[in-house]
Amino acid sequence: MDPASALPAGDAVAAVTAVTAAGVAAAFVGAGLVAVRVRPRNRVGPLMIIIGLLWLLARFAPLPATAGGVRTALAGTWAAVLAHLVVAFPGGRLTAWLPRAVVGTAYLSMAGVAVLATTGLAPGAVVRGAAMAGAVLSGLAVMGLQVSRWRGSTVTRRRSLNPVLAAAVVATALFVALKPVMIAGVAVRSLTPVMQVALAAVPLAYVGGLLRRRIDRGGVAELVVHLRGVSRPVGIQRALAEVLHDPTLRVGYWMPETSRYVDVDGRVVPPPDGGDRVATRVDHDGAPLALLVHDPALLDNPELVEATCAAAALALSNERLTAELRARLHQLDESRGQVLRAAETERRRLERDLHDGVQQRLLSIPMTLGLAESRLSTSPDQARALVGEAKTTTLAVLDELRALSQGIHPPVLTERGLLGAVRELAALAPVPLRLSFEVPAPLPVEVETTAYYVVAEAVANITKHSGAREARVRAERRDGRLLVEVSDDGRGGADPARGSGLRGLADRVAATGGTLRVDSPAGDGTLVRAVLPCG
Amino acid sequence: MRVVIAEDNLLLREGLARLLAEAGFDVVSAVADSPALLAEVARHRPDVAVVDIRLPPTQTDEGLRAAREIRRRHPGTGVLVLSQYVRVSYTVELLDDGARGVGYLLKDRVSDLAGFAAAVRQVGGGGSAFDPIVIDQLVGRHDRADDPLRALTGREREVLALMAEGRTNQAVAERIGIAERTVEKHCTSIFAKLGLRASADDHRRVLAVLRYLNT
Repeated sequence: MDPASALPAGDAVAAVTAVTAAGVAAAFVGAGLVAVRVRPRNRVGPLMIIIGLLWLLARFAPLPATAGGVRTALAGTWAAVLAHLVVAFPGGRLTAWLPRAVVGTAYLSMAGVAVLATTGLAPGAVVRGAAMAGAVLSGLAVMGLQVSRWRGSTVTRRRSLNPVLAAAVVATALFVALKPVMIAGVAVRSLTPVMQVALAAVPLAYVGGLLRRRIDRGGVAELVVHLRGVSRPVGIQRALAEVLHDPTLRVGYWMPETSRYVDVDGRVVPPPDGGDRVATRVDHDGAPLALLVHDPALLDNPELVEATCAAAALALSNERLTAELRARLHQLDESRGQVLRAAETERRRLERDLHDGVQQRLLSIPMTLGLAESRLSTSPDQARALVGEAKTTTLAVLDELRALSQGIHPPVLTERGLLGAVRELAALAPVPLRLSFEVPAPLPVEVETTAYYVVAEAVANITKHSGAREARVRAERRDGRLLVEVSDDGRGGADPARGSGLRGLADRVAATGGTLRVDSPAGDGTLVRAVLPCG
Repeated sequence: MRVVIAEDNLLLREGLARLLAEAGFDVVSAVADSPALLAEVARHRPDVAVVDIRLPPTQTDEGLRAAREIRRRHPGTGVLVLSQYVRVSYTVELLDDGARGVGYLLKDRVSDLAGFAAAVRQVGGGGSAFDPIVIDQLVGRHDRADDPLRALTGREREVLALMAEGRTNQAVAERIGIAERTVEKHCTSIFAKLGLRASADDHRRVLAVLRYLNT
């Protein structure tokens, strides 16, 4: 601002002006110190302190009257730093090109003014005019930048931007509106204190924002009390969203069995892959517990997020159980659907095979035999050939029926149970299978069949892909569960997501309420492990 | 040659009895379940029992268990097991008690009356008769490049398979249409290539070959 406003004592306006001017310096330096303490790595604090000090020098440095140019230069410099502060708020860094350009231009124009002012190359009035023009243009650019930034911000981001931006916009607006009028010589001196108060409001708004975070963190304590009474899971997500002031926040619970995060309804919550969402992981006892997917603006307030996560850990770990249950139900539904669809397809295929194959061929047998019958007395040789043909067809039908019933249910399982059926697999497999069975009492049929298919599929994969020299099949019934494990010493690298066999198997297993895991590190064998509940 | 039949399906039981009678066997009894089978075998001490694998009451593997029981209790009676499906593991199980007087065939084989009668006679005479499908499956396990079985010529494989089915050198020779001496030469070569000790005894030879195939 212009040094002429420092008026001789005695004038009331001048006194108020001097007091508010000192207030501006105090507000910036004070808020800067607070900021440095609270956010030591953020540049906001140092910038505010620099503004305060420059302001102080510009207003009160005991410079000789002839050094008006220096004063103008100082005034221009603090204004440029202020532009820098407002544009870089709240991170303290300029990351995009446009803000950098605006701030750079502000600094450059002020440097130009400072050179002109201190070297005396131009008359004082011209220098002041240039300084004002630069300041007004920079001010307008800064304002435009802030308005567009605010409009593009999320609710959560706006909440942290609002106080400082509002104060800065008001101060800049006043500055831009009043300065040219003052330079034009209109007596608006009494408005200088108003401008200064508006200016001081900027650092004060910042301190206010910090205070509000304190209050927010106080809300965490309330959260603890609140969560204790939360019985409905949606409540936790809502409570967290409220405390963190991010209405878009989503909570995903860690499912160790599937290594995924799911929400409380059991639906998968994918971790954000960059973009406008970030995730904060909540651990409990060293293991992942939940994932908060939230607005990146919350990263400006790590203490709040941390305190909230710590406070919610217990409630989250309770809710995780619910989520796990629902996820299982979902999975069960899904795999039941898959299995039903597969069974339906299978039934259609059977019907087609029976109709096109077996029935047609069976029909041809009495026809052939009828022909043979009619030729028996006239040409016995032809009749014999026809009977032979009928016999061949019958055997072919038998073969076909055998293959069909094998497809419906492995007969060996009916005849011998799981162990016998696995022995048959072992007898056919080119890779030696070592069997270890501890399965007392007959198994429920659906468990037996599922277990058989687990082993059959795993052994088929071993034979086809593994290059293993040896494989082991282990089955153990314990605590109401049947554990089926097939391991080999082959090359590994099996991916259940790619092979349709393993995927179908996972559905089959899930449909019985069990779990299937495939560990197949490249070069280190494959382990297929199914756990099936069996009452 | 005296035969006892165990088959729960009436039509098949009567059909089998008719076929075997036609082929010159003396069918002394035809029963429908495994306790009756064991009782009739104990009573008649037949040369051979022809047994369906699935029998009442469980309709699972009653016949197979009865077959093993008969072989333990009555070594003089051969057992020919019939089934809608053939299982390698059942073959292995039957071989646990040796290869003397034992057979395991797909039911379809009864349609070839002469072949079926020959198999019953073979088992009744203390030999063995295994279904070509079982042998195929056993040979199929040895498809790795480093398997000694890969060193066999096509003819040798053919001879090996027929031998494993339980056929004598003479039967193998007739089947392929070569001289018996040639079959013997092939046998010597096969045993050398597989590292097995040759044996003049037919059922020891079958056992050795089947055990080899099953490892």
